[in-house]
Amino acid sequence: MTYTTDELMISAMARGLSGEVLVCSVTAMGALAAHLAKRTHAPDLALLATPESGMEVVPMPTLTLGEFLTTNQQGIALSMEDVFDAIFTDHFRIWINPAQVDRLGNANISNIGPWERPRVALVGSRGIPEDTSHLSEVLYYLSSHNRRSLVEKVDFRSGAGYGEERQADLGAHGRPSTLVTDLGVFGWNERGDFEVRSLHPGVSPETVGERTGFVVEIPAEVATTPVPTEEELAIIREADPLEMRKVEFAPPSEAAERLVALYERERQAFHVAQEQQRHHAR
Amino acid sequence: MDKRLTLEEAVDSIPSGATVAIGGSSLSRKPMALVRAIARSSVRDLRLVVDVGGPDVDLLIGAHKVREVIYAYVGFELMGLAPHFRRARQTGSIAFEEWTEYTVMAGLDASVKRVPFLPTHAGLATDVLGVNHSFRRIDDPFGGGALVAVPAIEPDVALIHVNVADRQGNGVILGDGHVDELLAKAAKRTFMSAEWIADGAELQGFGRNVRILRVYVAGVIEAPWGAHFTGCAPYYRADLAHVRRYLEAATDEAAFTSYMERFVAVDEGERLRNLGGVEDLVERLRV
Repeated sequence: MTYTTDELMISAMARGLSGEVLVCSVTAMGALAAHLAKRTHAPDLALLATPESGMEVVPMPTLTLGEFLTTNQQGIALSMEDVFDAIFTDHFRIWINPAQVDRLGNANISNIGPWERPRVALVGSRGIPEDTSHLSEVLYYLSSHNRRSLVEKVDFRSGAGYGEERQADLGAHGRPSTLVTDLGVFGWNERGDFEVRSLHPGVSPETVGERTGFVVEIPAEVATTPVPTEEELAIIREADPLEMRKVEFAPPSEAAERLVALYERERQAFHVAQEQQRHHAR
Repeated sequence: MDKRLTLEEAVDSIPSGATVAIGGSSLSRKPMALVRAIARSSVRDLRLVVDVGGPDVDLLIGAHKVREVIYAYVGFELMGLAPHFRRARQTGSIAFEEWTEYTVMAGLDASVKRVPFLPTHAGLATDVLGVNHSFRRIDDPFGGGALVAVPAIEPDVALIHVNVADRQGNGVILGDGHVDELLAKAAKRTFMSAEWIADGAELQGFGRNVRILRVYVAGVIEAPWGAHFTGCAPYYRADLAHVRRYLEAATDEAAFTSYMERFVAVDEGERLRNLGGVEDLVERLRV
């Protein structure tokens, strides 16, 4: 069966999740990776429908219906304290998509240019400092692997990568582990060296070299990312029939427009599903 | 005590220069009717505190009401960056201090517990520690290594919006709580708007969903659609079509002036009519 890059990435991201941990859904890609992992190799994952609640619901990959699923499906309600307690005790995972990631695994969602007078002010560090000081696995993905997103040194460290400062202040707590991009699966070893774990089918080492803002050592024998199985593709497509997952790959100018359209279709689809449920119940 | 008042009465009691903390989270349950009332008022030079900000912060910066913002995040999620926040950050027209999601909670919690600070590891080995001049790097007095001391955040006023309230100021939150309970406890005065006002017995029927306690609340305002254009689960979703309209208007001065005249300078009833009426909102935003 043919697949697209977003589906290949979701399949690779799903393999990064295991065990009995809370998985928070902030993006459609992250929500689908968690859903796929739970339906295949990681049945004990406790998925949230929103950044802070809706545990044990049937997820729809959305940022907007989550709270409504909590109510309609009687999902377990959590609080912000529950979420941060789970982060601090390492019972939590999240796939984070930063604006920049660097060679040492520092991540930036705050600003391009200096913080004091940025060329582009982004959004602020949000909860990434908490993740990168406590979790035993920190998971990043980039929908577009290029020299602006994968850089030698981030403009601002929202998330702590490797290096002397992290070693002295945090040790191993919150070290970045994996980076999935549209070109391959990467990561950092215990010493903090950036490494290539696999390249996606059809991606050459030269392309990775050209599209990375620092020198990447690519071993002569490099693995190829496994393509999604038919079962995996079926799970992804069933959970996301409206293809919310593709919005993250659209240029920002189109993303808002597409999201508005999907948002309304999603509500209608939800109503139809509820109607059917009621019908079955009778 | 009957604490009901109007949006204007609540806002008129906020002095210029006050530290105002705003509840909700990006596009969820922001007290937008109160925010709009501030934008219409003569109050100015506010110091805003948000954990996860969005249209609240952006609108007030656009209305020239803000001198400083303390934030972990300000944005419109996948819909885009916050236009006025972004411009103000890039030109340095007002002051900003970047915190993080838990440290804002810790700062509020320190205030609630009447301690000067709370310690955490969050922020170590990041640049937040370098640009946030309120934090202090300290050594664990018990010998465990470096920590960040997060100082207490003491808002003069907190603004929150809830699903249901009674006249005395008990509040029901049916969706995600965000940091609203902490805000209500930490602030010197809390103003709470609600979709509707219930009598005491009816409110107690909500059981454990009564999350805001009246001892922390100074004033209650009935404000149907008071979180619009953010969402108020499970009553209505964020209005993304209107978010888009706002974001387009906020990129251009003339367009923003006309947006403000139509949707902010008017009272809430007229605003609903200018939006196309309640029936249209129900049709599009009820789930």
